Amino acid sequence: MGFLALYLIGVCFLVGFVMEDLIEKFLPGRDVSEVFNGMILYYFAIDFITRLQIQELPTLAITPYLHLNIPKRKLVNFLQLRSLFSVLNIFPLIIFFPYCFRNIGPEYGNAACIMYLTSIFSLVIFNNYGALYFKRISAENIKIVIPAIIVLTVLGGLEYLKIFSIAAFSDTLFSFIAIHPASGLIFPLFAAVIFLVNDKYLKNNLYIENLTAGEEKKSGTDYPFLDRFGAAGTLAALEIKLILRNRRPKATVTKGLILLIYGFVFYKRDLIDTNQFGKMLFPAVFMTGNTILIYGQFMFGWQGAEFDGMLANKVSARDFFRAKFILLTISSSLLTVLTTFYVYLSWKILMIHLAAWLYNIGISTIIVLYFATRNYKYIDISKGARFNWEGISATTILLSLPVLLSPYLIYIPLSLINPYFGLAGISILGIAGLLSRSFWTGFLVREFNRRKHKIAAGFREKS
Amino acid sequence: MMIEINKLTKSYAGRTVTDIGHLTINTGETVGVVGNNGAGKTTLFRMLLDLIRPDSGEILSKGHNVADTAQWKAYTASYLDEGFLVDYLTPEEYFVFIGSLHQMGLREVMDYLHTHEEFFNGEILERGKYIRDFSKGNQNKIGITAALMQRPELLVLDEPFANLDPTTQIRLKAHIKTLKSGQLTTLISSHDLNHVTDVCDRIILFEKGKVIKDIYTNEHTLQELEAYFSQ
Repeated sequence: MGFLALYLIGVCFLVGFVMEDLIEKFLPGRDVSEVFNGMILYYFAIDFITRLQIQELPTLAITPYLHLNIPKRKLVNFLQLRSLFSVLNIFPLIIFFPYCFRNIGPEYGNAACIMYLTSIFSLVIFNNYGALYFKRISAENIKIVIPAIIVLTVLGGLEYLKIFSIAAFSDTLFSFIAIHPASGLIFPLFAAVIFLVNDKYLKNNLYIENLTAGEEKKSGTDYPFLDRFGAAGTLAALEIKLILRNRRPKATVTKGLILLIYGFVFYKRDLIDTNQFGKMLFPAVFMTGNTILIYGQFMFGWQGAEFDGMLANKVSARDFFRAKFILLTISSSLLTVLTTFYVYLSWKILMIHLAAWLYNIGISTIIVLYFATRNYKYIDISKGARFNWEGISATTILLSLPVLLSPYLIYIPLSLINPYFGLAGISILGIAGLLSRSFWTGFLVREFNRRKHKIAAGFREKS
Repeated sequence: MMIEINKLTKSYAGRTVTDIGHLTINTGETVGVVGNNGAGKTTLFRMLLDLIRPDSGEILSKGHNVADTAQWKAYTASYLDEGFLVDYLTPEEYFVFIGSLHQMGLREVMDYLHTHEEFFNGEILERGKYIRDFSKGNQNKIGITAALMQRPELLVLDEPFANLDPTTQIRLKAHIKTLKSGQLTTLISSHDLNHVTDVCDRIILFEKGKVIKDIYTNEHTLQELEAYFSQ
């Protein structure tokens, strides 16, 4: 995680220092300062929503101190200060500050430059405490995130239809500040207000039950459509609940939906026209199978907490694996259905996705489950997934290579004759995997039985 | 004979945690396993449930090695720790899941649970919480009840009295006594000498993995055990 944060900070530095050139390169002919000014509020709007999702409430940190002889005032200060230590607070400073020093200062004078820096810094503070306050007062933050996303989409739509533009508003605002620097003091004022609101809230609610997000009444759920698969269906239903009711698996699977826009990067008109399916196979396999890859890589780790119970209870290893196959097949099929919107680019994409889907449910599932029997790391599924590297090792990353590369072993030779033959070859391989699934289940059960004690021992060592 | 243990050893980093030459447990016995921390009680139970592989030796359940077959799972119910619960389910969902493994329908499970309302003391069912949000004592109750629900021939409980409130401890003791019918073999480990001597017909005392005492309970057993532990 530390490494990733450093990397991102590095990227931000780079962006910050070449901001001018970037704007000129990507938006040629536009006024650089207009684009820069327009970007500021946009950035913080997106930043706010990201924070609602990512930023952790630093409250559990104080539970061990609540009963000790430490004044409440100090604990509140600690919480307030502690929340500032987040990479999200550093990114905007290194993205925006260099440009201010290099362009705003020389052009509009030092006062304007200082006001720019103050405004941006205040927006960081505002977002930091604003997002935390929002999270604290809302029991389930999802109820706020969704309206917030809707608001942003509506604003985006208005922007697109040229009715109201955040960018134009942001530009007007900051151009005004450039000329009348004193007006920028409005931002520190906003920041101070939200800080005090948060402070007051914390002081009045410094009890464990108030600090953690509220709970709503939980009730049982059934998935009757899985009943037809018998014991394996019961286990698959159990795992669907695992995904929906725990933070990390839920976030991991949601990520799969975001990855569906991957195709826009890869599917180029000329590739489609010249039937270069090979270059589109990789994103197709990835999009239709990303849950298999990303969720499947810790297949048993998700159940680490109850693994002993699974082994000691009357659960047959065969049903256990059949349940995994059912789950992965359902998820890949759903993703494939969702990716059908790419058909508006070309019906050829649909064919590639179909081949990739057959390959994923037929072959990828087997590869992933095989490697899962070699992963002994416990993961805490109640923690968030972002920046969470627990349980990830070199093998789990390497494991995606055979899944993503092996279709090419079939595709490349056959595509020399005809690209369509290549797709057909992959599909046939996938169907062969599906038809021989019970053989592979037997194989996986043998592998599993050989290593189950080691897996269980690994999960018992909760780091 | 329910369980037969032969030349069973297990050690971690050079420290022996199990070293049993020969030990048999007869069908219908209620056996208490006692010993200080590190005596190897939980390790023994885990090996009995094929969760840990022994370094050498074997455990036979009804004559079959537990590591080679899975037949024992059909008649063995166990609760060692929270790792046996599926903590993101509501208690009701968990009971139905465990029931389904033993071909018990929803009705059957619910009927069974209603006979246990006294044991639950109104704290388990219809609380609108996932198991992970219950207190440790209540999680214990859920795990023990789920184990009993399977109508096992062999019941394995690790520290069932720990974390339970006094009323529930007394009720659990009474319940285990009523289950003694000649068919059910029970293995209970506990640090509470009063409870085990009260409930069990036979006490096996472990020290560093070895059987130190193996006695059928009589009126002197408690004193004998207290004498050992206070030396």
